Amino acid sequence: MMSFYFGRLVEIFPFFLSGLWMTVKVGFLSLIICTVLGFILGMIRTSHSVVPRRIVGAYVAFARGTPFVVQIFIVFFIFPEWGLQLDPFPAALVAMAIMGSAFICEIVASGIDSISKGQWEASASSGLTKIQQLRLVIVPQAMKVIIPPLVGQYVLLIKDTSVVSVIGVMDLTRVGWVTVMRIPEGLMVFALVGLLYFVISYPLILLSNYLEKKMAI
Amino acid sequence: MLTNFNFRIIFEYLPLFFTGLKYTFIIALISLFLALIVGIIACACRISSFKLLRYPVIAYIEIIRSTPLLVQIYFLYFGLPTLGIAVPEIQTGIIALMFNSGAYIAEIIRAGINSVDEGQLEAGLSSGLNYYQRMRFIILPQALGVTIPPLLGQAIVLVKDTALLSLISVMELTRSGQTMTSERFMPAEAFLTVAFFYMVVYFCLKYFADWSQKKLIFREAY
Amino acid sequence: MIEFKGVNKWFGKLHVLNDINLMVSKGEVLVICGPSGSGKSTLIRSINKLEPIQKGEIIVNGMSVHKASTNLTKLREEIGFIFQQFHLYPHMTALQNIMLAPVNVKKIPKPKAEKIAREKLERVGLSEKADAYPVQLSGGQQQRVAIARGLAMSPEIMLFDEPTSALDPEMIGEVLDVMIGLASEGITMCVVTHEMGFAKKVADRVLFMDEGKIIETGKPADFFDNPQTDRAADFISKILTH
Repeated sequence: MMSFYFGRLVEIFPFFLSGLWMTVKVGFLSLIICTVLGFILGMIRTSHSVVPRRIVGAYVAFARGTPFVVQIFIVFFIFPEWGLQLDPFPAALVAMAIMGSAFICEIVASGIDSISKGQWEASASSGLTKIQQLRLVIVPQAMKVIIPPLVGQYVLLIKDTSVVSVIGVMDLTRVGWVTVMRIPEGLMVFALVGLLYFVISYPLILLSNYLEKKMAI
Repeated sequence: MLTNFNFRIIFEYLPLFFTGLKYTFIIALISLFLALIVGIIACACRISSFKLLRYPVIAYIEIIRSTPLLVQIYFLYFGLPTLGIAVPEIQTGIIALMFNSGAYIAEIIRAGINSVDEGQLEAGLSSGLNYYQRMRFIILPQALGVTIPPLLGQAIVLVKDTALLSLISVMELTRSGQTMTSERFMPAEAFLTVAFFYMVVYFCLKYFADWSQKKLIFREAY
Repeated sequence: MIEFKGVNKWFGKLHVLNDINLMVSKGEVLVICGPSGSGKSTLIRSINKLEPIQKGEIIVNGMSVHKASTNLTKLREEIGFIFQQFHLYPHMTALQNIMLAPVNVKKIPKPKAEKIAREKLERVGLSEKADAYPVQLSGGQQQRVAIARGLAMSPEIMLFDEPTSALDPEMIGEVLDVMIGLASEGITMCVVTHEMGFAKKVADRVLFMDEGKIIETGKPADFFDNPQTDRAADFISKILTH
């Protein structure tokens, strides 16, 4: 019986690959959006103006304090009530953007905070504006502190893409879920799904470990 | 935006939400407790000198860290029946959470142990303490201070992870939101209330974590 | 050039600057000394608005430093500030450190800025270290690069906040020599320091501060040999017995 199902699995392997491709698409696009947004939010989070800082703080608290699956439901089911009707794929990206940017915001803010006050004062004293100080002096130094946890966060975000399967995005997880309905070999199906996730995550984990060691110098 | 918000319906469904919240707590507590046990055992194997113990555990940890929790949940949910093991969903969910958090906890504990200064080890060695004595009196007490904050962080993650169990029909907070949505077609009232409850739990846990961090910093003065 | 009018500052309950009235004329070299906590660092840091003040006014070159409408960039273009901890940018070479402000604030084109930077480096005696990173330089060398960085903007005023206090003794001389050279060029200088030899040599005036107040001022020779107040005399004897 197992070998019969194994044969069928091999047959529909291309289906798994298409799911993997969708996961990569969602993941890659989300990472870019989240990183850009996250850096902007992180810089606001460390600014001296209280109101923007608090607003970003509230946003981050929401994204970190609620489960991602609940956030996806909000984007997919509640946004239409407020006027924004989204297909599953865009909705997935929006939800990932909200969640991912919040986490990256904290990593960036923490990196910026780690730079000594003296660097701010020295650059301010020569007449540089706040934005110039951030761009030329602070953020370049903060990158050393930011990059290792950032790559670690990328791994987490790629794994989180699995949750978008619940609104119908045909990613690797949903492929497994759909397949197991017709090929009732849960172990094999999801072992294969897990293996494919492993193939894309593990190199990133190794990269993150390597960067952590390298940046610690 | 919130002008059509129907608070009456929310009050009507409050019992359901509270039931869900109750189950979220129970699941989280049980899973956390079991995950701590798994984590401690796994960590002990991870740092042991026996390759037979170390390598399988390393594989277990890396697999957990490289695959999504949802996939791990589905793996058990759809896979256990094929082995002839019939388990209620809630227990399947707890097992999945136990193994998932267990791996992360093992790494947290390992990092804590590694963070203790080498000089401490050398001092212990020089006074003739054996491995278990060094562990018990020198390493573990100091590792505790470094370990507790990330452990509390993992606890917070675990509470949020319980939400995924709603996808295998386990009764908890998110599922109450799904139930209310399917019965009343009011996703806003349902999921925003659910989100609100999670945030309350989050803030309580975070406050506790920050508070205990302050107490630990005090203890570490040397 | 620099004028303090009834300046007051509090850190919570602590009165760190207590009714400061002061005039520094163009080209003057002013040395400020006093026990720690006397407010001397705060005084000098308030000149380029690194520290805000609660009461009074500071006027630099006709600009009121702490008025909200004042163009901070323009103000800081004319003031160079040297920190006790140098605060060189670790991710840039000495040359890049010096060029950063001229290129980005004064909008000087890069080739011209580089020429200016190399001039300033030579001025402080470190031409060969142009491509060195701060981590490769000794403390004395870093502070000299910091001075070159301050000079690159051709400021009219240079402020020094205990420039040699973080240096090992054998490196203090090289930094003081550069500062002595600057003093003879006519730049207005305010220096917070304990280096009394330097003060005697180049200062036009010495200011003694304690508990936020200016206790005594005078010409260096007068001040050190003949202090008017007990507190000043006490302080001088303490540092001379080093």
